[in-house]
Amino acid sequence: MSEQPSAIGLHKQLDAIWRTPPGLAGLSSVNHTILGKRFMMLALLFFAIGGLLSMLIRAQLATPNSAFLGPEIYNQVFTMHGTVMMFLFAIPMFEGFAIYMLPKLLGARDLAFPRLTAYGFWCYLFGGSILIVAMLMGVAPNGGWFMYTPLSSKPYTPGINADVWLLGITFVEISAVTAAVEIFVTILKMRAPGMALTRMPLFAWYMLVTAGMMIIGFPPLILGSILLEMERAFDLPFFDPTRGGDPLLWQHLFWLFGHPEVYIIFLPAAGALSTIIPVFAQRPILGYRAIIAAIVAMAFLSFGLWVHHMFTVGIPHLALAFFSAASALVAIPTAVQIFAWIGTLASGRPRWDIPMLYVAGFFVVFVIGGLTGVMLAMVPFNTQAHDSYFVVAHLHYVLVGGFVFPMLAAIYYWLPHISGRQSLYRLSIPAFWLILIGFNLTFFLMHLTGLMGMPRRISTYPSNWGWDWLNLLSSVGGFILTMGFALVLADMVLQFRFGARFRRDPWQAGTLEWATATPPPSYNLAAIPHIETRADQLQPARIGPALASGNGYLGFARNGEQETLAVDMMSGEAEQLIVLPRRSYLPLWTALATASFFLALLFKLYWLAPLGALATLVLFLFWPISLGSKSDRGPIDIGRDLAVPPDVEALNNVTVLANRTALVMNGTLFASLLFGGLFLLVVAPNWQGSNAPNLPLWTGALAMVASLSAAGAAAMAARRPGSVLPLRAGLVAAIALQSLALILLALSMGTLGDPTGHARQAMPFVTLGYAALHCGLGVIMAAHALWRHAQGYVSARRRTELVLARLWNGYAGGVVVLALGLGALLGLDGVAP
Amino acid sequence: MSSIIEMPLVRLVAGFVIWSIGFVVLYAAQALGCAYGWGDWHRPALIAVYAAVLVPLTWMSLPGRNEGRSGALFAAALWANRSALLAALLVFMPVTFASLCS
Repeated sequence: MSEQPSAIGLHKQLDAIWRTPPGLAGLSSVNHTILGKRFMMLALLFFAIGGLLSMLIRAQLATPNSAFLGPEIYNQVFTMHGTVMMFLFAIPMFEGFAIYMLPKLLGARDLAFPRLTAYGFWCYLFGGSILIVAMLMGVAPNGGWFMYTPLSSKPYTPGINADVWLLGITFVEISAVTAAVEIFVTILKMRAPGMALTRMPLFAWYMLVTAGMMIIGFPPLILGSILLEMERAFDLPFFDPTRGGDPLLWQHLFWLFGHPEVYIIFLPAAGALSTIIPVFAQRPILGYRAIIAAIVAMAFLSFGLWVHHMFTVGIPHLALAFFSAASALVAIPTAVQIFAWIGTLASGRPRWDIPMLYVAGFFVVFVIGGLTGVMLAMVPFNTQAHDSYFVVAHLHYVLVGGFVFPMLAAIYYWLPHISGRQSLYRLSIPAFWLILIGFNLTFFLMHLTGLMGMPRRISTYPSNWGWDWLNLLSSVGGFILTMGFALVLADMVLQFRFGARFRRDPWQAGTLEWATATPPPSYNLAAIPHIETRADQLQPARIGPALASGNGYLGFARNGEQETLAVDMMSGEAEQLIVLPRRSYLPLWTALATASFFLALLFKLYWLAPLGALATLVLFLFWPISLGSKSDRGPIDIGRDLAVPPDVEALNNVTVLANRTALVMNGTLFASLLFGGLFLLVVAPNWQGSNAPNLPLWTGALAMVASLSAAGAAAMAARRPGSVLPLRAGLVAAIALQSLALILLALSMGTLGDPTGHARQAMPFVTLGYAALHCGLGVIMAAHALWRHAQGYVSARRRTELVLARLWNGYAGGVVVLALGLGALLGLDGVAP
Repeated sequence: MSSIIEMPLVRLVAGFVIWSIGFVVLYAAQALGCAYGWGDWHRPALIAVYAAVLVPLTWMSLPGRNEGRSGALFAAALWANRSALLAALLVFMPVTFASLCS
């Protein structure tokens, strides 16, 4: 390289490459720091909206026989409160935090797929806006945040209220699934060299497990929403018991997501606690390995307790026992973490500061929520307290204790990183006490009203049932709580305006994010460090200036390209050079096209919806045009006397890993669909005597052979990247055969029988539709690989597109076999008596 | 080479993957047995699955399996697998006594 510039010169060179210009050009930003902040600010706005809704609820319930809100408005208000807090605040808030923080913590310059981050943000904004606009128009969802059928089915919610929820939330969830894939891949592949998995800070471990949970946990909800919307829009009877559906299928799909969701929200907060507590205890975290084991245990166990939300629906004792035991057992890994945190504080030299106030608040509130959780895990108690205010109290103690208190600790701890200024402290302490007192006054009393029999979701109550004073005090507490949050907001604003500036690392932390300048520059680190110890025991104030001078990997600007590194997943050895895409309006346009699809469905313009989907697909096909290379470059200098190949010349690159991850997520959705079919076959009423679906043997068999052959042809092409003719022949064959499979599956769907008549026809109809869709995706991936090969982007070393074509066609082949298997099974006479 | 190095990560989740498979199989077998009237074979079938899940989990929880290996991830994996064994023992135990279909 040429002569090394000064630290300021290097900053100017890198900033010219990475920066997003001000003004409207900001809409094209793909930078994780900007997008992380946007996510968090929007989430806080939704938090404020959700908070206002909660004040309306408390105003309504403050006195008996209140006429402040009518029942219909009240239904919309409490439904929107839950929906906004869960889907528009909690999940996007930690996503935004992870998007902002992870690359800095890991020593990367951005996330693996910056444009996907931007696309996710726009989906979040547009989807959330649909819900808020609907609320302002008086047509918000009104069936509770979990949208139980049959209440949310067409006969009982004939307006668009439920559609707003199903379509708006599914739109928002795009941001969750894209974030999950990005976080998962970034943590595994984009750490600073030397940062082996066992050297990762615990926050990264927490986020890795959380992303894994999101990959498995979100698809059942997305599938449930699709099925319910199909029932409402096209009368396919998945949840209608008179036509072979079952409302319990919705509950299973919803809570398969809904319970892990609680832990998906808690784990990032616990990751923040595991980062903050050692800093203030002034010693390394106790039980690093035990905490990793506990996070893994918690993640898996949390998928084994969804039925504890359904204890009263009438299921056999054995099933109750499974879920009750798992529900109680999950307290153990939780306790392991809590004792590790207490032990760290007890064996350290704790210094008290504002973040630690909220950590203390967390311990009190969350432990109470955990204990009432163990109470509710017990079937007899659960039966008594079910759907009462006791459950409302419990869930708020868990979610506010497990997420909001740690979030406030994290805000006070990391806001100086964003603002470059320190807290003023004058408002911080009264704000904390108002929040702690207000919260406990509001929600502790709900345990009592619940035990006295007050049911959830009632809009008013008579005055002679002994609930009056408790409700009034709860409402007073709610307003005290709101005052506390208002003070926190004022404190944040004042910090940006009047807070004192500081040099690096004001808390004497040990993690890499504090090695950046504050506020952080657009490229995070001017050079990427080599990590030689556990990455929560670093000295950011010492290494920060060295990195700013370019001492490390990639400590230079080259070719105007946004360069960062990929490493081996386990060892953290530098493996590839990644060139990230520059800022672009494509994510915004693609999200707008996606919005047109969802809005067309919402307003029942079904002719327009396919056009929206097509526009989205076409715009996605534009994304890779500027990526890749038309020549093999071989190993490239990355500094510190090391050279690595570009990621497009490696097979285990982030794109391949992301597609494998996406297929796991997709496979979970398909498995949930198969579960739905088998569940209805075994459990749903009115299947005896129903007409079996008519699935012609020859079309099914031919479709299966065609799709599997297409998978084989794509695999053959991927194995012969250097031979032009076999490669192109393989891809052309894959396109032709997968197209044939698609046509045959579409024909089969037409012969099944009326899908609106019975779930026995509807289930294979939608399953074959899913298979046909994936045959179509297989065609697109093979055609894309063929086109990229013709353009010169594919060679014996650059074969990512071929691997993707093989993966997606292989997946399509597997799906076709299983979909036809389900169709054949539902066609048999073995309906449960 | 990479796949060998990645083994500790697989090992970290292996115990609970087996626990999850056991959970799904037992829950499905419980429902199928009730729906299709497996009668006297129902409980023995569930107990057989229970035992089949415990065998690999017990094997994975033995300390000798990690001899010669060091590092945080192997230790974490051992404790995660032992947690999975404990979870399987407790959560699946009701197959031995709880009423199956009512």
